[in-house]
Amino acid sequence: MLFSSITFLFMFLPVVLAVYYIVPYKIKNIVLLLASLFFYAWGEPVYVILMILSILFNYFCGRDIHSYAEDPQRAKLSVAFAVVMNLLILGFFKYYGFLLETVNAVFSTDFSYRELPLPIGISFYTFQALSYILDIYRKKAEPQKNILYFALYISMFPQLIAGPIIRYADIEDQLRRRRINMTKIGQGAMLFITGLAKKAVIANTAGAVFEGISESPAGSLSALTAWIGVFSYAFQIYYDFSGYSDMALGLGKMFGFEFQKNFDYPYVSKSVTEFWRRWHISLSSWFREYVYIPLGGNRCSVSRNIFNLMVVWTLTGMWHGAAWNFVAWGVYYGVILVMEKYVWGASLDEMPAAVRHIYTGVIVLVGWVFFFSPSLGYSLRYLLAMIGGGAGIADAHGVFLLYTHWLLYLLAVAGASSFGIRVIRSVIRMFRGRAVRTAAASVIYMGIFLTAVAFLVTDTFNPFLYFRF
Amino acid sequence: MKETRISVDRVMKYIILGLIIAFVVVLMVFMSGSNRPFEEVQSEVEKSFDASEMKEQDSAAIKRNFGLNAADYAGTAYYSAESTISASEVLLIRIKSDDQIKEITDAIDKRIESRKNDFGDYLPEQAGLLDNAKQSVRGAYVFYAVSPDADAYLKAFNSSL
Repeated sequence: MLFSSITFLFMFLPVVLAVYYIVPYKIKNIVLLLASLFFYAWGEPVYVILMILSILFNYFCGRDIHSYAEDPQRAKLSVAFAVVMNLLILGFFKYYGFLLETVNAVFSTDFSYRELPLPIGISFYTFQALSYILDIYRKKAEPQKNILYFALYISMFPQLIAGPIIRYADIEDQLRRRRINMTKIGQGAMLFITGLAKKAVIANTAGAVFEGISESPAGSLSALTAWIGVFSYAFQIYYDFSGYSDMALGLGKMFGFEFQKNFDYPYVSKSVTEFWRRWHISLSSWFREYVYIPLGGNRCSVSRNIFNLMVVWTLTGMWHGAAWNFVAWGVYYGVILVMEKYVWGASLDEMPAAVRHIYTGVIVLVGWVFFFSPSLGYSLRYLLAMIGGGAGIADAHGVFLLYTHWLLYLLAVAGASSFGIRVIRSVIRMFRGRAVRTAAASVIYMGIFLTAVAFLVTDTFNPFLYFRF
Repeated sequence: MKETRISVDRVMKYIILGLIIAFVVVLMVFMSGSNRPFEEVQSEVEKSFDASEMKEQDSAAIKRNFGLNAADYAGTAYYSAESTISASEVLLIRIKSDDQIKEITDAIDKRIESRKNDFGDYLPEQAGLLDNAKQSVRGAYVFYAVSPDADAYLKAFNSSL
């Protein structure tokens, strides 16, 4: 079930919220767990069994690791077993076909294999499960005694399918005790509506432009059209994913949870390092906490630190998908971040802000080319088109796209910084008195909600991009 | 007492892991698709038809009858009966990404409903075939068949993977 589907907005969510608020506090977690399992089973009636088995496996692994608290050697073996098994399950569904395709390509073999669809959200819930068992091993959290609470942590529907990836230590207390009040419900609803509008109005429209452009061979694109394509994709993926994250955070608030934000206006960054502090924050934090720091982080020699960075970024690329373009994308960012840290970072800091914005923008846009390309060859042809090596500098198609979509790009640019939300807040503050302001905010957000719904009902099926990861 | 509980946890984790492995095996046997090229699967499925009854249609027919753009997928093949009073048809699609499965299964459900309305009481035996339409999603392949021999077509599809 999609957050942006009419079924979710007008049936599932109102019913779940109503039941959740009515039932006594003690059974709210059970209601939320049942709703989450139903939500997942709606789209994955078979794979819901895999998720339940994964919950049970990690629950017992957590208890087993904790039981070796006085025996570090055995605890290490137990945690290694749990980590390896989780990675094997994830690897089987996500990378097994890719691995055999690679073997076939490299050794000219012809292994045929059976393939299964990727279970939705498996990358996200596996990483959450790993966070649980690693936090227990590192004694940063206690094993959850109540299996229903643990099941809720793994399967909670607001963030189950596309994150944010919540570390167990950050939510342990909230699973037991959290405050639900009207202020949080209101803030959550506003955040949810903002995310819905990002997805329905901007991401889907930008996505349609990108899709139209990407259907043409890269060599037939003018530089103008190729740049419009990559800008459209940049806006699509940002508004799609940050929209989903806003909806997840908003829903979490409505159920009384506080999740950490996943995006912080990444396109305003003045360096690539800063960009990655603002983009998919929960994934970057996960890799920093559970891979980069255990490898030695930056408290080691320069060569070891470079190695650590490259490992983390190659894994980050691979996490996104089983294809070489994702590996290339990860390595690309690893190299840029190493360069910023050890070669040109200090010089970059001295440059005017505008230059730093342009530098970051170009690097990020080139990165998106690797990310969206079906193959490395396509990405190189697309990059060539961006510098005029396709069908020249400009063509009528590009000019037409600019003419017909200028408002979209204006909105997308405004919303990519805090400017958009500041405008909305200023309008609300123009009204005097708390009650009037609340009424004004309600009217404005209801208008945004209705606009988003109008876009959704006229749109075709349009899942979130990060569902495939 | 504590030792007993700890052992239970340990035993349980191995039992659950065993269940996960068993579940994956079942999925591989009953749900998996394969990396066989589309043309090979299509050819195997085609062999199960009576050539005089079913005729291969072009992508325009897929668009017209299912609302799907053939160019969006890795491979498509659509066959339907030449006679307008027959509901028999077979659709085979290889998807490019998993998120295409739902749009295809939705389109098939819509097609079945629409065809049921077309035939209704007028040709009840054809409407009956639609009630027994066979649909299968195996990995990247989506298969749909309406025919008195739909079971045989489905069997041919499953063994072609």
